[in-house]
Amino acid sequence: MRTTIPVIIAFLSGLVLAVSIFFRPEETVIGRIEPELLVWVTIIGGFTLFLGAVSITRVNYNAVRRLKKGWVYNLLTLVSVFVMALPSLLPASWSPLFGDAEGSIYDWLFQRLDKPMMATMFGMLAFYIASAAYRAFRARSAEATILLLTATVVMLWRVPMGEALLRSINPDFPDWINTYVMNGVNMAVQRGIIIGAALGAASMSLRIILGIERTYMGKQ
Amino acid sequence: MMNLAESLSIALKKKSKKIPVLINVLLFFLLSFPGSVTADDTTGSAFRYERLNALVIVVVFSAAVLLYTRWARQGRPLFVRKIPGIDAVEEAVGRATEMGKAVLFIPGLQELDDIETIAAISILGRVARITAQYETPLLVPVRYPLVLAAGQEVVEQAYNELGKQDAYNKDIVRYVAGEQMAFTSAVNGLMMRERPAANIFMGAFFAESLLLAETGNAAGAIQIAGTARPEQLPFFIAACDYTLMGEELYAASSYLSKEPLMLGGLKGQDFIKIIIVLLILVGVILVSLDIGDWYYKLFEMA
Amino acid sequence: MSIWSKFEAIDRRWIYLLVALSVIIPFILPVKFPVYITPESQQLFEAVDSLPENSVVLLTFDYYPSTIAETEPMSRIALHHLFRKNIRVVTMTTVPLGGPSMAEQVTRELAAQYGKVYGVDYVNLGYKANYVAVLKGLGSSIEAIYPTDNTGTPLRKLPLMDNVKNYDDMAFIYVVSDNGIVDYWISIVNALYGIPVGCGVTAVMAPKFYAFVSAGQMTGLLGGMKGAAEYEKLLGRPARATSGMDAQSLLHLLIIALVIAGNVGYFVNLHQKGKNV
Repeated sequence: MRTTIPVIIAFLSGLVLAVSIFFRPEETVIGRIEPELLVWVTIIGGFTLFLGAVSITRVNYNAVRRLKKGWVYNLLTLVSVFVMALPSLLPASWSPLFGDAEGSIYDWLFQRLDKPMMATMFGMLAFYIASAAYRAFRARSAEATILLLTATVVMLWRVPMGEALLRSINPDFPDWINTYVMNGVNMAVQRGIIIGAALGAASMSLRIILGIERTYMGKQ
Repeated sequence: MMNLAESLSIALKKKSKKIPVLINVLLFFLLSFPGSVTADDTTGSAFRYERLNALVIVVVFSAAVLLYTRWARQGRPLFVRKIPGIDAVEEAVGRATEMGKAVLFIPGLQELDDIETIAAISILGRVARITAQYETPLLVPVRYPLVLAAGQEVVEQAYNELGKQDAYNKDIVRYVAGEQMAFTSAVNGLMMRERPAANIFMGAFFAESLLLAETGNAAGAIQIAGTARPEQLPFFIAACDYTLMGEELYAASSYLSKEPLMLGGLKGQDFIKIIIVLLILVGVILVSLDIGDWYYKLFEMA
Repeated sequence: MSIWSKFEAIDRRWIYLLVALSVIIPFILPVKFPVYITPESQQLFEAVDSLPENSVVLLTFDYYPSTIAETEPMSRIALHHLFRKNIRVVTMTTVPLGGPSMAEQVTRELAAQYGKVYGVDYVNLGYKANYVAVLKGLGSSIEAIYPTDNTGTPLRKLPLMDNVKNYDDMAFIYVVSDNGIVDYWISIVNALYGIPVGCGVTAVMAPKFYAFVSAGQMTGLLGGMKGAAEYEKLLGRPARATSGMDAQSLLHLLIIALVIAGNVGYFVNLHQKGKNV
């Protein structure tokens, strides 16, 4: 029963959503069911946020209680979660510090702490890309050499300084890169991967709808 | 429990009494809904004929998958090429076991409604069976609560089925953060503190792919990644030991299961791929000869 | 061991230091190189430029604050273009954290510059969870998905939304994104509703989308900060993206130099190993 009902729900929901795109929504019942199902998904998604809050609290609380290695970070996480969440949940009518509008505690923390920290994390990519490229691009074989040379010209082409350099060699060089590398080789490879992945996704969806694939429910 | 595909397959084979029931279910959806078109609807076009081409593709694709699944059930041998990245999963868990360290599994950074995440959760089920078998610690940080619930269910089932309930802990799968970079920094911290021996990244990844893989590389872990996002593949290839590309991610669960029924789905998918390659070739020839307009229109979807 | 052979294994901390310097130095000593326009950016610019006055464009802020260096210049220059052409703008986001407030902040700032009125010339719908459902739902009814705007005002009280009920009432969708949502704008919205979709994405994502531009599923593409700089040039308003081009140039050159150094070290060591054998 624990598997049968979810499999039936998956089958019916999948079938309704797949079939609905072939019928006009304004003229068929199935067309009206589809947006209804989509609203349900949004509502269920909202409720599950509670599960996340419980999990993050339990994991970090247990780590602090047992003074596990690095427990200070867990404590910091707990404090951050509650300091950020609680004032934003309280109604703004009580105080301008509550809610998530401009001037609220949430907004202040978001603008002055969260936003720069996120940008910093993303900025670290520049360091990691340089280090990974340095390690990975070695002319060990013919294929690796082609990859290395292509990456070099594309990197040059994507910045004004490099593009100026390429144009000094031949004014048409950047256009060749755009035509033959980006809109040629790159596009062909991307299409191959995208088509393959799309078929894989469709096949997986079909296996799920028909109940062949049930491992996502913990069943073999 | 017998799944619906099996029921359908058996029903068709034995022409049992199940046929009317199954067909009725299908007919209920396929026919009764459009039948509710209002009487004053003179166009009679509840069905979108302009999307007939897509319907044909859906039907052919479904038929191919079902047919191969049926053949697989009948015991026909199906060849599936080796995928080194998937074979390496067991090796990576073995290494972690020897070193007495954990295995870190990240099921991507997308919601559960993303098919890549579902594929990742399926692979997690297989990986959890291996870690349960060897009693290797498993860490699964997730970004979305729904993925948390699904992940916990899958891992718990795997441990239960192997009789390792005592080794299971609800916090194996844990919610870390909803924001991409907060999630990344938390997982990077986890990698540097816990030093897992194997990192498995499966599912949808974005800008964090390299941040995670480089940190794992610096921490000295064996790393296996799999994603259908072409833009992230170069980063994983640069920083990981094995990378599953595109459709290999979706094949991984079936491949790991080694079940004929699951492998049948893969063969059906390959069959369709051959058809698509042929259709593309025909299109290229026709368009090159400047007589391909009609052919092009066949594939346009409104 | 020669100095050349050491190039094969430079400590990553030295690499990090060089990266930091290559980003900081151009801001102190700027060198202005001309920005050339790629056909994909030109296509997006022309698509927007050819829209009639008063038409409605949906501009999305589908990005997290982490990527604002790349994405926000795109949103800004897009708004400059749209407001300058008196096109009415509906903004929305599928990103919960930061998306709504960034959309609000940037749109209000630029609307004030052009004297645009909220509710008449532009509306910010804000965020709704579950993007696939949202994207599909907007095709049937915007009001069903967004009964109110970002500040809680019912849509029926906003004059702009009187005639904007679903995608059919929009002329163009301008997606600015740093994540996988772009795939859905193409595969759901463009494919099912036929509305043209143009995109500005991070540099990492851009190569994937050339295939969609070529297939006509995407109308123009801006790739990363360079794409934004190209659009700024097309509109004749050099701004943040243009000023970031020097740092990006130097960083790319540094990476190329590191790759060359790594290969020099690799071949020197290979040669020495050959001698020793």
